Amino acid sequence: MSKERDGGMINKSKIAPETNIVSDPVIVIEQLADQSAQAGYYALQDANLVLAETNGNVGEIDTDDSGNVPRISEQRLVDEQIVIIERLADQAAAEGLYGLQDANLLLAEALLEAVKEGPVTADADFLMMLSGWSKLIDSYRQQPKIGAEAIIGFLRHPILKIPMGDDEFALLQEQLATEIFTNESIQKLSGNAPALAPLIGQAVNASGNEFSGSVSRVAQELVDLLLLESEQVRSCLQDIIITDRDSVQNSLQRAGDELERFANAAKTAGFEGLARICTHVNLNLQRFLEQVDSFTSEHLELLLEWLGQVQEYLPSFNESNAGQLAVVGLTDEQWALPLSFEELTAILLQIRSESLTIGDQFEAARVQTATDEDISIALPDDVNQELMELLLLELPVHTQQFSEAVQRLQSNGSEKDVEVAQRVAHTLKGCANTVGIKGIAVLTHHLEDILMACASEQKLPGRALVNALLKASDCLENMSEALLGFSSPPDDAKAVLQEILDWANRIDKEGMPDSETEEILPETQAASGDTDETLEKSATEPLQTTMVRVAAEQIESLFRLSGENIILNGQAQERLRRVNDQLQAMQMQFALLRQLGAELEQLIDLKDLTGLSSGLNGTGFDALEMDQYNELHTASRRMAEAAIDAREIGVDINKELEQASEVLQYQQRLAIEAQEVVMQTRLVPVASITPRLQRSLRQTCRLTDKQSELVLTGEELLVDGDTLNALVNPLMHILRNAVDHGIEIESDRLSQGKPGNGRIAIGFELEGNTLLVRCLDDGRGLDYDAIRAAAEKRGVIESGQEVSEEELKRFILRPNFSTRTVTTQTSGRGVGMDAVYAQIIAMGGTLTMESESGRGMTIELRVPLPVSLTYALLVNVGQYRIAIANKGISQIHYSGDIQLITEDDQEKLLLEGITYPVAKLDDLLHIPGHRKQQRPHGAMLLVQNEEKTTAVLIDSVVDTRDVVIKSLGQYIGKIPGFIGATILGDGTVTPVLDMPELLRAPARPINSLYTYPTDIEEPESMMPTIMVVDDSLSQRRALEQLLSDVGYKVRTARDGIEAVNLLAQVKPDLVLTDLEMPRMNGIELTAHIRAQSSLRKLPVIMITSRTTQKHRQMAEESGIDFYLAKPVRDEDLLVKVHHLLEQTADTERKIA
Amino acid sequence: MQTEEFEAADHTITDFPSMPQAEFKVETVFGIRIGSMGFLVPTTIYCEVLDKIQVNTLPNVHPWVSGLLNLRGNLVPVFDLRIVLEEETASHIKRRLFSIDRGDKTVALWIDDFPEVKDSTILQPLKELPPLPQILQSFVTDGYEQNGQVWLNVKFGDLFKALGRH
Repeated sequence: MSKERDGGMINKSKIAPETNIVSDPVIVIEQLADQSAQAGYYALQDANLVLAETNGNVGEIDTDDSGNVPRISEQRLVDEQIVIIERLADQAAAEGLYGLQDANLLLAEALLEAVKEGPVTADADFLMMLSGWSKLIDSYRQQPKIGAEAIIGFLRHPILKIPMGDDEFALLQEQLATEIFTNESIQKLSGNAPALAPLIGQAVNASGNEFSGSVSRVAQELVDLLLLESEQVRSCLQDIIITDRDSVQNSLQRAGDELERFANAAKTAGFEGLARICTHVNLNLQRFLEQVDSFTSEHLELLLEWLGQVQEYLPSFNESNAGQLAVVGLTDEQWALPLSFEELTAILLQIRSESLTIGDQFEAARVQTATDEDISIALPDDVNQELMELLLLELPVHTQQFSEAVQRLQSNGSEKDVEVAQRVAHTLKGCANTVGIKGIAVLTHHLEDILMACASEQKLPGRALVNALLKASDCLENMSEALLGFSSPPDDAKAVLQEILDWANRIDKEGMPDSETEEILPETQAASGDTDETLEKSATEPLQTTMVRVAAEQIESLFRLSGENIILNGQAQERLRRVNDQLQAMQMQFALLRQLGAELEQLIDLKDLTGLSSGLNGTGFDALEMDQYNELHTASRRMAEAAIDAREIGVDINKELEQASEVLQYQQRLAIEAQEVVMQTRLVPVASITPRLQRSLRQTCRLTDKQSELVLTGEELLVDGDTLNALVNPLMHILRNAVDHGIEIESDRLSQGKPGNGRIAIGFELEGNTLLVRCLDDGRGLDYDAIRAAAEKRGVIESGQEVSEEELKRFILRPNFSTRTVTTQTSGRGVGMDAVYAQIIAMGGTLTMESESGRGMTIELRVPLPVSLTYALLVNVGQYRIAIANKGISQIHYSGDIQLITEDDQEKLLLEGITYPVAKLDDLLHIPGHRKQQRPHGAMLLVQNEEKTTAVLIDSVVDTRDVVIKSLGQYIGKIPGFIGATILGDGTVTPVLDMPELLRAPARPINSLYTYPTDIEEPESMMPTIMVVDDSLSQRRALEQLLSDVGYKVRTARDGIEAVNLLAQVKPDLVLTDLEMPRMNGIELTAHIRAQSSLRKLPVIMITSRTTQKHRQMAEESGIDFYLAKPVRDEDLLVKVHHLLEQTADTERKIA
Repeated sequence: MQTEEFEAADHTITDFPSMPQAEFKVETVFGIRIGSMGFLVPTTIYCEVLDKIQVNTLPNVHPWVSGLLNLRGNLVPVFDLRIVLEEETASHIKRRLFSIDRGDKTVALWIDDFPEVKDSTILQPLKELPPLPQILQSFVTDGYEQNGQVWLNVKFGDLFKALGRH
């Protein structure tokens, strides 16, 4: 069969066969075959030729009168079927489905012939099959691939005797399977693939989107993941710089790798057709790589265009025409290996057939039981580092968003919160699946299902479910922290997942429980107005910007270099100033020189008039009639001119220097700006610590059995990360104190007209360069009577002594001061405000308290943020030149204004009728007496320090300027009042002082040669000491953090031997030990403890992953108090610890 | 406290990887003399003898903190171990500044004369350390003797941190 390729369209009316059988069908069919060939529709031509051939045989059969005449009813049935089949053929032709038309015509013709032969009507089975032909066509329309196979199978029935070879049947089958995908868009590309154009015909409208339907959630996720992966390929391609051979080679190489990864991902996700396309494109890429020099921008354009088509295809993969552009584009001759027609049809067929099943393989039934594998956060071996980096950036943000949404659900949730939580869970799942972190992916998968159920049933989760969601959010945060290397993986992950699984399975089975929504407390709903704004904010949160992970050291180097830049600029400006000074002096000299020159000229002129007039006698001119010049004249004139020239040069230099000064000032502004930008990279949002605070509050509430909510404001503020981290512990102390001391139990609150739930608010604000943290609670406030009683008991004040509330407040900042008579697990052991105060003071900050009995308490912390640049006064004190930061300085006065008076043997300053306490900077800095009594101080600074103003006397103020503050380095510890040092313009180094801090610093002997530094004394805590013994660093750290967050003192040891050594020095109140450890295991350690008379009663808790009865028995025999099998929930452990400590305390009390 | 010391030791190694610690055993060492004592510094660490550089004194610091140097833009603290050793400075000895390490880890100390390069194998280990000021005892790991001169191995990183605490 010859096949002439022609781009013309098939005219349906021209080739549509007559429904009536003509006397010579062979001629008609042959004509149809010719028309099909002319129209370029070769499959149809083939079919017609086959038909013609068949009819030729029919003619022969016609003549054969076998006498085998079918029965009338069966004959009618077949005739009716033939009419139906012919109509189906017409319909197919009208739709442009010419393969289907062929199939129908072939069948109709074959039937006509077969009827004549007789066996058709004799074969009941065949008749039955024939009656199902229409259904077969219908199913073909639904599932072309399977349908095409069935149609061909039917046509190959031996009764029909269609004279076609296997290859011809195969071709027809392929056509049947392919043609249904044709659409208008192919026509657009007909220039590239002219042979395809006829295929599309009018089929597009007929098929339309009839196959598109709703995409399953799983399939949508897979599409999202693939789109994410495809962006990696695009990124590599976009890196290509056509003119740079290396860039082309490297980027193509990377793009090839990414494409391979993408193809694998597509295959795994069930997009096998797409995977085939990718593999083909990758072959092209490899070909381009082999001939890098001939790679052009057109090739790049081709690749990017193809990728764009793939990205268009993915979201609409279930539509009938999906993927065609991506495939058809590959037939372009510009590709190194254009796609063949056969491959094209095969791929299109595959894409269509698999579109209906994508995602199905992932829709597995929900598991019932959580396994260790389900909670694993181990990275896969072939982890994509780039994606991993992205995940690490996004994970904390998403887990926090999830946690916030769930927390809102706990207090005053709305459907929007459910939506936010579900969206974040979905994103988290996608991210985790992309990288391969199964633990997060599995947990978020079930969480998303639960939240989807809430959303679809429009029911809010009740208290029990919210609690489960909260635990899950904590678990996700822990997993995130573990992946970031901040902590160990959560121990309770399996239990949390199991709980979530139980919920998900329950909801699958029974739907969302109705009672859940009713459990939400009415009073907590009242505050919904407070968070509407945040809710709106989170709902409209902009997309994340692209982030880059940079090593902290690199940022530090950048910061240092930008500082150096400013310092060097300062030095250059200093030099310029000196040059300017010298230029001024030089210009004065020039002026003098000019003046001298003028004087000299006058003198010479005078001399000429008086002494040389006779010299003109011989010429007949009078001296006034003709000037006569000698060398002296010339020299003096030249000197005067040189002086003028020098002055002009001086003026020019001055202009140049002015311009240089402007350039330097501009450069300084840029350098300062650069440093500020670098400084900003060290800033972190306050929100980064909120999860820990929320967790701490929840734990304290559980332990104290109180209900309280924590509201944070100013979370969006960006502050220095180190400062913020240093604030976490003090804030947790304050939170614990607020819950334990401040917030009343629910019944008491209700009886006082307060809401049942306590409310603690922590607000963050920036006050200049100080971070203000305001902590409020609506509890009972300070009990001044109790503080007074405690102070009297401790002998701080005498009984009946008059003490103001202000003074009483300060007592609670004293070490180990507690009003509690009975200690609790959370407070009352004297640790708390003193530790907070010590920490804040160590940070150079201040702490103030306000409290109204019964109304609550407000604690304000002001902490200075590190500065890199400050405006400073350069002052002289003794032999030192010192920079004083302008912080706190309200006024500067010079000696004439200073009026010192003596009151109560103390010097005071009287200024505008107000007296101020006086301090001398040389005394504050312990500068040995250099001053003669009679020489007064040259200047005075009024310094605002907390609530009082102090006059500080200094020798003189030299200058004021911006100074770059550099750290004193890692070997010089914090010197009270020093915020660092700066390098001045002349290269000298001078300390930079913070006057308010210096004024607050306690006096200390510094001049003694023999005073060696001692350990910094932390406020002594009366909280019990717990020894954690574990060979796993992460486990040790995690337990240490948990216990110290609750307020316990923690000592750690790496194994039994270390623990034994440590026990010789410190007697803890409780030991937490692992079972298996090197050198000495937990059982041996417990045996050792029980054998020591001093330690015999020391409570021991063993935490281990060994769960067998044998291990448990062995541990119990050694004398442990509790055996806890991992994973252990934090709350369970704390309850056990608390119980044992209480038990020990009771025993001790009884003995006492 | 013991555990804290373990942790502190971990930090020390991490924070000052190039600082001489007790674990250093190298063939060639710098010998620096301060008063009657000699100290050993591994030659694997970048060291410099600094000349004609201004030491900027600081008020309100321990007497053994001589001040700060501006060493190519880095602020470098200068320690005077003679004061720690409680020894007078002999007037005829020219003291020089000796810096150890680079960048922000640099620290400088006054030494007597130039440093010597020594072969550690010819140094005789001391069974007992000579009497030392209390603060030094905590940071000296071992001692050697050569021709009557005592040479000490010191954990300089920890020593300077302790001396710089205010």
